[in-house]
Amino acid sequence: MCVLCWQFLSEGHWTEQMFEAEDNAVTGTAGSAREHARRRDRYQRTRILNQILRHYGLRLDDWHSRSYVLSDRKGSTVLVRDLGEIWPAAQQLARRRLDPLEPQFLAALGQPDAMREPGP
Amino acid sequence: MNRGGRRPITLITGFLGSGKTTLLRRFLAAPEGRDTAVLVNEFGEVGLDHHLLQRLEEHTMLLGNGCVCCTLRDDLVQALKELLDRDQRGAIVPLARVLIETTGLADPAPMLFTVETDPVLQHHFRIAGVVVTVDAVNGQLHLDRHPEAGKQVTVADEIIVTKADLASPETVAALRTRLRALNPAARLTTAVLGDVDPARLRQPRDVGTLVPRLARTSLPVTPGAHSRHARETRSLALSFERPLDWIAFSVWLSMLLYAHGEDVLRVKGLLNVGAAGPVVLNGVQHIIHPPEHLERWPGDDQRSHLVFILHGIEPDDMVQSLQAFQHLLGASPTVDHQRALHL
Repeated sequence: MCVLCWQFLSEGHWTEQMFEAEDNAVTGTAGSAREHARRRDRYQRTRILNQILRHYGLRLDDWHSRSYVLSDRKGSTVLVRDLGEIWPAAQQLARRRLDPLEPQFLAALGQPDAMREPGP
Repeated sequence: MNRGGRRPITLITGFLGSGKTTLLRRFLAAPEGRDTAVLVNEFGEVGLDHHLLQRLEEHTMLLGNGCVCCTLRDDLVQALKELLDRDQRGAIVPLARVLIETTGLADPAPMLFTVETDPVLQHHFRIAGVVVTVDAVNGQLHLDRHPEAGKQVTVADEIIVTKADLASPETVAALRTRLRALNPAARLTTAVLGDVDPARLRQPRDVGTLVPRLARTSLPVTPGAHSRHARETRSLALSFERPLDWIAFSVWLSMLLYAHGEDVLRVKGLLNVGAAGPVVLNGVQHIIHPPEHLERWPGDDQRSHLVFILHGIEPDDMVQSLQAFQHLLGASPTVDHQRALHL
């Protein structure tokens, strides 16, 4: 999926898709087990994203396991669907470029306090 | 193979006269040819005679935000939907696969994007891979003069050096070395008189030999690989000893592609995410194919291997980024090799 244009065309972001060897089953398991795995992945994704976004003064909350609420310290919020929407929305809210190669960001990420959960 | 009902599509690309049509004719003459549909951009001088041959009139639609790899090939959508309709009505033999021959200058990325994002097509077709033909006699010249040739090699899953019978062994060897440097992850074969195993077109993404290709460490670090010349194209091969956290890795990669997608010409890898089998990762610029989870490893090496082809991005910056992310990823990268490429 194109990370820039996917939202107009695709049914799901590539980070939330996983084709099994047999090609048609997404994440293999069925019913409640599949839903449980999906929620666990969302929890984990939110936790990781918050460790990145806190460097930009942003915070992400899961919204009913369907969307995410992205907010800044001034209380501005944006509802986003998945990673395809999170990055452009975060860039707009933070008013700066989000770049995983930027040395300052990487230095902050490597510090021990970056590993803690962001406060409320 | 028609796994899960989705018909595989192989793209065949390469410069004019590089032997695409010869390759197609050989394939269609084999038993596999019967239930194969062929879409071509141009009929060419060497006539192809096949009951499922159709011509594409290149017609593109650039999406609103103007990202070039997201150009929709409307002609391809129409042609594939028509094929699907004929297949479902029983008007043709049940379709096992589709081969698409592109023009010499075509960028394969929009075709991949079109098939994998169209709301109908993505449920009925899947990209089996990209095959590029490179002429042993003129290949070096094409690579020197036309950036498109370098890009075709970069996105390929299978590179076939054709007309090897017309060039000296030294010429073929030099070309193979250059192609291997341009795309370390692709399978590279040499064809004499168009003689190629049909499986090369059926299954260009052969994961069975992907690990040795990704892990190839014998390639030297070329002079200039560490120099800070802007806008150079370089390949970077990494491995990870410990299993990777897939969620953390996909967050990192999506952040990288959002910031630098147009400069990540290619990413290909086999990742150990702590499951029984690896995850196959395959991307061309902004386009990431839906990651595929294999049931088991193709060999004994169960480390994660990743190859990036980068334009204007310092491989060292990538390594530093992955190192800073290591607490989230659960593993730190080892550089297997990096090379400056001359596209």
